[in-house]
Amino acid sequence: MSEPLLQIRDLSVEYPTRGGLLRAVDGVSLTAFKGEVLGLVGESACGKSTLGMAVLRLLRPPGKIVSGEIEFRGQQLLELKAEAMRLVRGAHLSMVFQDPMTCLNPLQRISDHMVETIRTHRPSMKVKAARQHAGALLDRLGIATERLNDYPHQLSGGMRQRVMIGLALALDVDLIVADEPTTSLDVIVEAQFLDQLRELKDQFGLTIILITHNIGIVAELADRVAVMYAAKIVELADVSALFGKPLHPYSQGLLKSVPNIRLSDDCLEIMSGAPPDLINPPQGCRFHPRCPRVMDRCRSEVPPFDEVQPGRWTACWLYE
Amino acid sequence: MEALNLVQVLDLKKWFPVQKGFIERLVTRERQFVHAVDGISFEIKRGEVFGLAGESGSGKTTTGRLILRLVEPTQGSILFDQVDLARLSGEEMRRMRRRMQIIFQDPFASLNPRMKIGEAIGHSLEIFGMAHGEEKRGRVVEMMERVGLEPAALLYDAYSHQLSGGQRQRAVIARALMLNPDLVVADEPIAMADVSVRALLLDLMNELKRALDLTYLFITHDLATAKYICDRIGIMYLGKLAEVGELQKVYGHPFHPYTQALLAAVPVPDPRQRRTQPMPPGEIPSPINPPSGCRFHPRCPIAGPICSQEEPALRELRQGHTVACHYADRFVA
Repeated sequence: MSEPLLQIRDLSVEYPTRGGLLRAVDGVSLTAFKGEVLGLVGESACGKSTLGMAVLRLLRPPGKIVSGEIEFRGQQLLELKAEAMRLVRGAHLSMVFQDPMTCLNPLQRISDHMVETIRTHRPSMKVKAARQHAGALLDRLGIATERLNDYPHQLSGGMRQRVMIGLALALDVDLIVADEPTTSLDVIVEAQFLDQLRELKDQFGLTIILITHNIGIVAELADRVAVMYAAKIVELADVSALFGKPLHPYSQGLLKSVPNIRLSDDCLEIMSGAPPDLINPPQGCRFHPRCPRVMDRCRSEVPPFDEVQPGRWTACWLYE
Repeated sequence: MEALNLVQVLDLKKWFPVQKGFIERLVTRERQFVHAVDGISFEIKRGEVFGLAGESGSGKTTTGRLILRLVEPTQGSILFDQVDLARLSGEEMRRMRRRMQIIFQDPFASLNPRMKIGEAIGHSLEIFGMAHGEEKRGRVVEMMERVGLEPAALLYDAYSHQLSGGQRQRAVIARALMLNPDLVVADEPIAMADVSVRALLLDLMNELKRALDLTYLFITHDLATAKYICDRIGIMYLGKLAEVGELQKVYGHPFHPYTQALLAAVPVPDPRQRRTQPMPPGEIPSPINPPSGCRFHPRCPIAGPICSQEEPALRELRQGHTVACHYADRFVA
């Protein structure tokens, strides 16, 4: 495997709420290797988006990182001053959000967005040169250069999302955190977008952390997958290993509840219960109240996140 | 005798006028229309689940609303149990609507936040003067138990913000079923739910349909989900039906190039089956000036000269499977 680009160690994020402290990310360790697509899947409120935002240090207050470290290109991100972090963001590390309409300023032309991004990091570059660079990028993304003069509302949903990618690529970023990048897109446009992402990844040697609830697009694009449940990562494996034989009972249940259009006579399995309240999570393994294979130990002791087979990690007492 | 078709839609059209600014109205005389639904015909058989699938802007939601007469058609007719809905007076329509209910996508927006869940579910009973007080409460609690909103006695007095997303959607389903309707129009009923909750809701809808003799119009953009509930399906593109047929036939052997692309685009939760088919270029065009002839022709991989000139009619290529494509014969095995 190639060298690690991003290493998250024992990271925890908390939000103070009226009901008490909510730990949205709880002791997560995860490594993204150069050139890979690392899928991060889980259901609503499992902490996957918070984890993505934490990596960029873009958490909205009062949310805050309470422990752990994030090492990116050999640099400790949590030790950087705000200004230094801002320069890493955009230049080396970038984010693509779910809804491009709310991320683009409706009063700014596409060119303004792109030129501003480029010149913030390369102040010596002239506006004209930045515009040219932006035009070339759009062209590469399959959008006519003239569209630089358009406002966001003049573009279609798919184009807007490609502009977001263009913004992320405007500088030579190494890592893109894409949070539900295709959720607002229709299925054919989603497929076009995934094709493009795959191409760009190869061309630019990008590393992508793909955060999504859509198990299908993870299967389509990811090299490795981390499954998150109730603020913790419960399983990490190569995509083929995970889909071939998921180890953690939550991963098993999750994969069986996903509709598969190619199978003609399958039934969806139903997981009982609902994810826990993160202010008062269950003792022991957080999945134990819903787990079909629960043992006594699971109710009291937290299972460690261990490598149970080469390259396969899971937090479950079944594999001790 | 009961008719086989509960709903029959004939050449239905809905054009929405485009709102223009004052100056623009002075300058240009021509009125423009969004051709949301542009001449579609299909039937929903009693007891079946008929799916309408397509991308955003295909007209599927407008079609659902037209059937309930929540919007008035520009042209065409809708027969509900052999009665032409357009001919009904307001009062007659109101009574007819008891037999047709709708489930919306967003259970946050479709439940009144200031109404107790039980009251919201039973509201229609009061409106139609069918039950009040204790009797209403009893019937609501029974329905809540039926859809798995338990403990019903306790949740009756809860407000919608106290419920989980899955519970809220159950409440919306319960409300739709309170009047014992024949037809339920379900507009993306599970799109907002998490994967594990989706399976649960689908299962519930299937079970309720069997138990209560329901007919569903299931509107969705998610073809993978449609597979688990629909008996027949219509694929819409830009206000038109591209293909209609039994689900097994349409999915197993799609005739329309658009259906083929749509089915191929659905991500499969299996990394061994990654998609290799190229996607059609571009996106669904504007419904204000839809392309001439076949509306899919500018993006179609097999379009010929005729496709830009002549609009293909829906024709039956196999029993129970119709398609609107000039060249679909080449896909018949």
